[in-house]
Amino acid sequence: MTMTRPLAGGAALRVARLDLMLLWRNRTALFTAAGLPVLFAALLFPAHGQKAGGMDAALLQGTGHLGFFLLFAVFMNLVNVFTARREDLTLKRLRGTALADADIIGGGVLAAVAMYAVQVLALLVVLAAALGGRFPADPLLLLVGLAGGAAVFALLAFAVSGLTPNAELAQLTVLPIMFACMAGAGVMFPLDGLPAALEEACRWLPLSPVVEITRTAYFGRDFHDHAAHASVGFAGGWTACLPSFAVLAVWLGLGRAMAGRWFRWEPRRA
Amino acid sequence: MDDIRPISVDGLRQRYGDFEAVAGISFEVAPGELFALLGTNGAGKTTTLETLEGHRPARHGTVRVLGRDPYRERRAVRPEIGVMLQDGGFFPDLTVAETVDRFRGFTPDPRPRGEALDLVGLAEQADVRVRQLSGGQKRRLDLALALLGRPRVLFLDEPTTGMDPEARRATWRIVRDLVAAGTTVLLTTHYLEEAEHLADRLAIMHRGRIETAGTVAEVVAGHGDRISFQVPERFRVAELPALRGAGADIAVDAGRAVASYTVTEAGLQSGLYDLLRWADEHRVELRGLQARSASLEDVFLRTSAGARETEGTRTETGAAAALEGASR
Repeated sequence: MTMTRPLAGGAALRVARLDLMLLWRNRTALFTAAGLPVLFAALLFPAHGQKAGGMDAALLQGTGHLGFFLLFAVFMNLVNVFTARREDLTLKRLRGTALADADIIGGGVLAAVAMYAVQVLALLVVLAAALGGRFPADPLLLLVGLAGGAAVFALLAFAVSGLTPNAELAQLTVLPIMFACMAGAGVMFPLDGLPAALEEACRWLPLSPVVEITRTAYFGRDFHDHAAHASVGFAGGWTACLPSFAVLAVWLGLGRAMAGRWFRWEPRRA
Repeated sequence: MDDIRPISVDGLRQRYGDFEAVAGISFEVAPGELFALLGTNGAGKTTTLETLEGHRPARHGTVRVLGRDPYRERRAVRPEIGVMLQDGGFFPDLTVAETVDRFRGFTPDPRPRGEALDLVGLAEQADVRVRQLSGGQKRRLDLALALLGRPRVLFLDEPTTGMDPEARRATWRIVRDLVAAGTTVLLTTHYLEEAEHLADRLAIMHRGRIETAGTVAEVVAGHGDRISFQVPERFRVAELPALRGAGADIAVDAGRAVASYTVTEAGLQSGLYDLLRWADEHRVELRGLQARSASLEDVFLRTSAGARETEGTRTETGAAAALEGASR
């Protein structure tokens, strides 16, 4: 029997458009994904002028936020969306159409990443225009680091969503990763004051390599080294960030395995 | 090519943990046929449907939709099928029109929005948010989405639940038109009237098994005709006559004892004659006298009751086996 009815191309884009439309209509979700980052960005202004680790505290924290915003726009957003949709059976309905699973997942990730990209661009403009920042020293390194971070946190979101029984509990199940990354990835306070063992442990959080790469790319100085920050040349940033990329790669593998194991399309039967 | 059955199920078993939801069923649906799965809640209808829709693999046995494995070959099968879910699955913040537009983007060669909404009578609700629709209107929107791709095979899971009688009749008309145009339909329902109206063939499921299957006439045949009346006050039950060898079953309905007899099809006329002669001889008026053929409902109720009795025996045997095991 011949079956020649392919779905028109760009299906994932059409899913992403639906996702952004739904996010816009759901003010609670919109606040988590886009409102919280605005709040955190506003808190940078009082820090402007203070020194932290020999740098402007607002800039140091602000460059950390470039990575940190992954937690709102990508991680928490995707955990919420995919948990709620699984439980209200909209995932099931979408899967009953001609969409491939990859379109449904890809569209969701695309919408989240698009929103995150807007936040990153806006923050870069704020840093440069109002907080004494600069144009990133190595934009490509910055882009690769943030893209890697987006992939890791999307995978972690699918894994956590699979472990979350319903949309209300998603507010709780995101907290361990949320708090660990908030406290330990060097965004809120520098890590070089910590005992060596704890500092080393913090390097293995999923957000830490993203923050290290982001800052190195932004300032053109070595931020894998938490204390000294020697200047790096054009290719030097990539070399300095190799250990960070290694940690990122480990989380990519781990995230892929956990998402594959735990993500569910269907509600659990009682 | 055309001899491929749109739907075939062979020896399907599904379980959730220790619970066997589908316990080995087989059936086929021919092109342009409407097949209804009847059963109480938990009979395994929805699990069967979801397996055919490709939501889960068959644990044992094989299922085929248009000759393909609906789980492994989802990409090929999905564009050819339409699915109406039992409930839920809408985005409450979208309007009816927005919902149809979004899903048109997920459907190859979709019907125009207006056509889809006209088909199910929702054109006037186009700008209403889905959360404001009544239960019956949501079912109709669900049907519109299922029909967007002009599917060759349509799965309807309790399609008229929550509809008022008028909407139900309208939906039946739509489904009958689709079947007349060659669509193959598998429908689950617990409205027996719905199955009687629509189904070319049907199967009654109970606890994961198909207890009986065939056309309505085939299913009903052999289940006997009914004669019933209110037991006259001055008679004791033991004094009632036997009709063509059938004794009276006594039930209480609205505070009155009602006697009913199940007689063979051939026995209806003569049984009735015997009864009327007895009433004449005893000068008694038979209130609420009825004579009718067995209905799908009779078969349905008896099937689930019968299956329950068998189950009881099974449990006893199981308990005995357990005792034996313990004493060993």
